[in-house]
Amino acid sequence: MAQSDQLTRVQAAAGDDLAFAGRSQLQLAWARLRHDRVAVVSAAVILVLVLLAVGAPLVAKVAGWGPDEQDRVHGLTRDGLPLGPSTVHWLGTDNLGRDVLVRAVYGARVSLLVGLGATALATLIGVVVGVVAGYAAPAVDTALSRLMDVVLSFPFLLFAIALVSVVGPGLNISIIVIAFFSWATIGRVVRGQTLTLREREFVEAARSTGAMPLRIMTVEILPNLVSPILVLATLIIPTAIVFEATLSFLGLGVEPPTPTWGNMISDSLPYYSVAWWFVAVPGLALLLLTLAFNLLGDAVRDALDPTAARAVKVRAG
Amino acid sequence: MTAGALTRLAGACGLLLLVAACGSGSGSGSSSSASPSAGNATNGGTLKLLGSGDVDHLDPASAYYTVSYTLERAFTRQLVSYPSSSQIGAATAVAPDLASELPTTGNGGISADGLTYTFHLRPGVQWNTSPPRAVTAGDVVRGLQRICNPASPSGALSYYEDTIAGFTAFCDGFAKVDASSPAAMATYMNSHAVSGIKAPDASTVVITLTRPASDFLNIMAMPFASAAPVEYLTYVPDSAAFRQHTVSDGPYAITTYQAGSKILLDRNPAWSQSADPLRHQHVSSISITEGQGSDQAVQQQLQAGTADLSWDLPVPTADLSQLRSSKNPDFAIYPSASNNPYLVFNLRSPKNSGALGKLKVRQALEYAVDKTAIGSIYGGPALNTPLDQVIPPGQSGYVPFDLYPTSGHNGDPATCKTMLAAAGYPNGLTLTDVARNSGNHPAVAQSVQADLAKCGVTTKIVSVSQGDYYGKYLNSPAATSAGTWDISEPGWVADWYGNNGRSFIAVLFDGRKYGPNTVDYGDYNSPTVNALIDKAESAPSAATAATYWHQADEQIMKDAAFIPFETQKVPAFHSSRVKNALWSPFAQSYDITNLWLNPTS
Repeated sequence: MAQSDQLTRVQAAAGDDLAFAGRSQLQLAWARLRHDRVAVVSAAVILVLVLLAVGAPLVAKVAGWGPDEQDRVHGLTRDGLPLGPSTVHWLGTDNLGRDVLVRAVYGARVSLLVGLGATALATLIGVVVGVVAGYAAPAVDTALSRLMDVVLSFPFLLFAIALVSVVGPGLNISIIVIAFFSWATIGRVVRGQTLTLREREFVEAARSTGAMPLRIMTVEILPNLVSPILVLATLIIPTAIVFEATLSFLGLGVEPPTPTWGNMISDSLPYYSVAWWFVAVPGLALLLLTLAFNLLGDAVRDALDPTAARAVKVRAG
Repeated sequence: MTAGALTRLAGACGLLLLVAACGSGSGSGSSSSASPSAGNATNGGTLKLLGSGDVDHLDPASAYYTVSYTLERAFTRQLVSYPSSSQIGAATAVAPDLASELPTTGNGGISADGLTYTFHLRPGVQWNTSPPRAVTAGDVVRGLQRICNPASPSGALSYYEDTIAGFTAFCDGFAKVDASSPAAMATYMNSHAVSGIKAPDASTVVITLTRPASDFLNIMAMPFASAAPVEYLTYVPDSAAFRQHTVSDGPYAITTYQAGSKILLDRNPAWSQSADPLRHQHVSSISITEGQGSDQAVQQQLQAGTADLSWDLPVPTADLSQLRSSKNPDFAIYPSASNNPYLVFNLRSPKNSGALGKLKVRQALEYAVDKTAIGSIYGGPALNTPLDQVIPPGQSGYVPFDLYPTSGHNGDPATCKTMLAAAGYPNGLTLTDVARNSGNHPAVAQSVQADLAKCGVTTKIVSVSQGDYYGKYLNSPAATSAGTWDISEPGWVADWYGNNGRSFIAVLFDGRKYGPNTVDYGDYNSPTVNALIDKAESAPSAATAATYWHQADEQIMKDAAFIPFETQKVPAFHSSRVKNALWSPFAQSYDITNLWLNPTS
């Protein structure tokens, strides 16, 4: 019952907005996505956080405090403890008397920049390595596959700590480290898909007309990989954001005084019992953003692969 | 000073400063009496200490960490030591321990020229060997020789090399002995002698100095100079085997030592109260449990009464305000001989066309820092007193003065800016501040950064781990000369109290000792100060030394060699069943050999 119900709804959803002719897979997915309430809410949350991040200087101006401005007059108790939400500091202050709201908003910039930057870099590397491994000669495939195995079996934190202590911490190194540990996931899936695709008739056809391997990989195979890449990339974003927070938390991320959610949480820990706002604001922001990206990623996957979505929903029902 | 010495000192200081580095609160002192034997002592029970890490070393020759000092109090003894007391003055005055009385010129213990010290051993002191054996002058000599064993030498070697005749020659030879062979080291110790250390009979030790040293008894009171039994020759110093076979002449003996997890002590049956004026044997056993994750976890257990003392973690910063305002009787705050943190200038830095080498620039920057704001990072005015000179209050040579006064110690960016322009830098400077990435260090660096910005100085913070901080930056002459850092905020706590210029000004500012393990990180080198250090160290009396230390202090501040921020107090907490909690300033902890446990709570 649930099964047929669901099918009807999806078909109806697709039918509402699109003529029955000429719908591509992506168009269908987009239609499904637009009617997925969770997806819409997640996207809205992400949009709001992105707007706040972009408009951080504006928020700072309205709040009246710069991100690194230390309010030594009414930002701390006499004993140096942070002060709670008030009309002066709307979401309280941190251990140096800085405005938590303004810092959290600036922190969103780093989270989004690293999250999206590392994901873009990881996707680029993953797709190139995956397609080459899947299409090229078996020897190349073996070499690249083993490389991916090695990367996937690397202990992330140990490597990150070692690398950062040699190179020194910073924004760029954070992006590179996170991308280095994320690309292999994409690479593996893309390789698997490419292996199936290369045996398909249209690829055979292209090859028989004398198309060069580079052309086959980019023009014939790549467009058919968009769905899995989109799904994986959306799911890597929240992981990358958490990675960045972890690095900052350990003092291996962006240099102080630049605020990040990770270093804010790290700074707040000694004060959790007396200054809940200090840990709650960056903590909730991190939770909200990663949750939104995760749910959106799930929704994208469901929209692109309705079979899987149906299976999940049936189980849930 | 030898290489190695000061790194350890700095390392120990860093750890120690974690303890001091927190909090707020001024609290009532503990109500316990200054006399170790006061009150109705209750014997028995197990004293429980809780903490995160292990001792740095268990061998008295090399243990150089407040936590290790806490433990050594129970199983080692020195010729002279300190009584524990809630009165800082009493707790920092040298008292006889293995020696039957304090040597003075009056009792003939110190020769008229101040060069010869004679110690007579107290009868009845025994090792917990089977059968128990008396502690002899030979054991004291062996303990001193072991300070520079090649396997695990003391980090404070220089104090002994600089004072005792022949110590350097003995150590230079010892350093060449195979450090993995206990037999080779024993042979060296038995066949070589320090020319200035003699044991004319089994109960007399005579030590000759190279020049008078009014602080020599303080040096002898450090646990490095503990007596060592002949059994210690069987093991490589501080090796795993050594740590399983410690021998005790104190009231307690280590029965279990598991590195990084637990240490258990039981009463030492060979110890007798009549032969120990400083310690007691109230509790029947002591257990130290390591591996706790956070100071908050330990504090909760202390307040619940499931543990009695913190082993190595500070009272949590966030709790201090509440503990103080509620006048919790188990909470107290004690002074320390600290200059922490302070800002060190890299005088060698070629950056900004060598600006930091210029007196006028450093003098301008002296006005920049808001010392009160730095104090609030460490818990506010109850624990922090702004400092404007090298020597903190209560220490030898302290005469308050402030060459660069600012209102409320809040800094004066305008004066800084004007003077910087006059010094030839109207557009400010760009400085690299190397800061440790843990504890309060990032907050301090950011506070300084904000202050310097107001004076037109841009600061780039380089965050490094505690491990890299000294080795790759502050202690590296190459990195220092290359200008990889311009400023930094380390801290310093003297090794003893009172007459401690040797452990303060001489360590921090004697430019002749600049090298890979220096604590004079920025290579300040003034002939005037160096001459004053020599005069002070060889002064016949502590009072004479004090006048020289003060002159050196003034010269250093005139030269704006560094920017002092604060001198800090140490907060401490114990469970409510701990009675007679007496403070040991050296261990920055309560003396575990003097307290007892209230059986009804």
